[in-house]
Amino acid sequence: MDPVTFSIIRHRLFRVVEEAVITLKHVSGSAITNEGHDLMVSLYEADGSLLMGGVGFLHHLTSAAEACKAIIRKFEGRIGEGDLFLLNDPYTAALHTSDIYLVSPIHHGGKLVAWSACFVHVSDIGAMNPGGFAPDAQDIFTEGFSSPGIKLIEGGELRQDVWDTILNMVRSPEMVALDLRSMIACNNVARERMLALIEKYSAQTVDAACKMLVEQSEARLRERLRELPDGQWQSRQYLEVNDEIYKVLLNMRKSGDTLTFDFTGSSPQSKYGVNCSRWASLGGLFAPLFPLLCYDIVWNEGVIKPIKMIAPEGTIVNCTRPAPVSVATVGAIQSVNNAACSVIGKMLAASEKYADEATAVWHANHFAIFMFGNNQRGRLAIGILTECFAGAGGARTFADGVDLGGEMPNPISRMANVETIEAQFPIRYLFRRRLKDSGGPGEYRGGAGGEMAIVAHDAPDGGIHYVMSGKGTKFPQSEGLGGGYPGGVNDYMWVHAPGEMHNADRFAQSLATIPGEGEPISWGVFPLMGDDALYVRWNGGGGIGDPLDRPVAKVLADIETGLISEQAASDVYGVVRKATVLDEVATRAKRAALRQSRLIAGVAQ
Amino acid sequence: MKQRISTTLFAENGQICCVSCSAPLASTNERWKEKVALSTIPVAALPGAGSNIESRVVLRRFSCPHCGHLLDTETALPEDPFLEDVVEV
Repeated sequence: MDPVTFSIIRHRLFRVVEEAVITLKHVSGSAITNEGHDLMVSLYEADGSLLMGGVGFLHHLTSAAEACKAIIRKFEGRIGEGDLFLLNDPYTAALHTSDIYLVSPIHHGGKLVAWSACFVHVSDIGAMNPGGFAPDAQDIFTEGFSSPGIKLIEGGELRQDVWDTILNMVRSPEMVALDLRSMIACNNVARERMLALIEKYSAQTVDAACKMLVEQSEARLRERLRELPDGQWQSRQYLEVNDEIYKVLLNMRKSGDTLTFDFTGSSPQSKYGVNCSRWASLGGLFAPLFPLLCYDIVWNEGVIKPIKMIAPEGTIVNCTRPAPVSVATVGAIQSVNNAACSVIGKMLAASEKYADEATAVWHANHFAIFMFGNNQRGRLAIGILTECFAGAGGARTFADGVDLGGEMPNPISRMANVETIEAQFPIRYLFRRRLKDSGGPGEYRGGAGGEMAIVAHDAPDGGIHYVMSGKGTKFPQSEGLGGGYPGGVNDYMWVHAPGEMHNADRFAQSLATIPGEGEPISWGVFPLMGDDALYVRWNGGGGIGDPLDRPVAKVLADIETGLISEQAASDVYGVVRKATVLDEVATRAKRAALRQSRLIAGVAQ
Repeated sequence: MKQRISTTLFAENGQICCVSCSAPLASTNERWKEKVALSTIPVAALPGAGSNIESRVVLRRFSCPHCGHLLDTETALPEDPFLEDVVEV
């Protein structure tokens, strides 16, 4: 094939995915989709293997491939033009029940030539708790509607009985219907644009270009791997639920042009829904691999071939049915994301050529808070606090991480405007800002996370409730690199209002000034009623390099902009100020003393 | 010939060395973390620690015993082994 035609088809495939994403966002009415970008759209080959990975949550790229393959197996001989299938069973392919896959076969001339697939986190799935994350669920059976594959549209006609059955099992059928319609529209656009491409260049030419694209991706990743040093790198992630502590252990071995990710030694599966299935773990390790190793390589099946995963059955990274998994995406999957980001970062840092591509771990812990209740218009509202997507960049080997800079597994994640959330829910934000001392210290500091507080406002029922699947309060998870410190931890505080409130108290601008008594919370369903407040802080990115090597001017700037405290400047960075003025002599002495103190073995105080 | 191991270490003549002062720290067939200075800090004592931090979790700091430069860190419970990163030289 001539290179010009190949290049045009390659770019047209990118545009097919991009236009489908735009359609998904425009039709969807939920903040989690069109502002948080908790979505994914990709194209797959006729056999279900990944052809063109799109943006959004990248751990879905490989899982949706498995969804296509599961549909092919299940409906062999019954896959027709204009069909569309729904799949959300985590033990078949999905990550958790509320991330529904809609997959659509693309036929040309009566022959199946490709698939499009997409997901959104639907408003509700009928689990024990509203919103899909179900901390109270003890097994998959209490995590809502779950299908290993069902035909939703047949020959272009909606199967009304199936549609009605699904919507009959969820709390907010209007919103879930809109979620599903946005995905149907997305798949329709992907199919139409693919067919237009095939009409123009012929099925044979497009198929040949797709095969070349996959071969090219495999060859380019293998070439990149050969340029990187052989070796092994390890990571250990702790995550906690209530008083239980779990570990995700990862040993990544790089040999020649292959990578093996081995999760042997990880904790047995949990009684809580933080577990993930094998497909979810595979997706979880690819989420950082795509952007870190394949930033200039098309994300398709060719990238998957050099990678091997070992995930022992019965562990938190490969749980067995009927273990609960509803919190997987912010539980074990995210720990797999973090661990993979860490070991890939260390491998890149060991290369002269690729050291600039290395990064510490980014925003390592979503907090996943779903609010539910009657809103100011008397309608049931269910939705997430999208600040969990705001993230924080890990430091790079040449620069600080980006404050509130998103997250590694989703290159387009972001938080919604305050006004969007206040319009949807009967709440008012007291404040939302970058969080002091949250970015992991280092020569290059991790990006800052954030903090926020909300109160009930104009609520017909006196307030609302929220489902919290909050981990990450006990252990830092945004690992540093090359001597950098980890980013800070999450925190969740229910502030019980005193009996009497002054009006000024209702506009507090910090946790310390919110009147009342704070109660740390993390897991379950809680009320936000009366004058009570919910305070949340989220983690920063990991740092890189020795904090004592950070230029003094940058430390001073961080103090001035509120990103670090005087205590951190002195105790961690060794920078001393007197009455807001740098004390150069004291700073030199402090840095020397801190360096010397490291040579004394034992626990520093 | 120097071979990069990480942002803070390189290998040369069968030795793993500190990037900051070039001092040899361990032979390439040894576990270098066992040969350098280790100091630990409770994570709860770090600025910005949250209200619910696990009391036993520490930040292990591996430093060059010659110049005090920080070579690596890891978050760990006391009973957990050192993470072992090995670059083939």
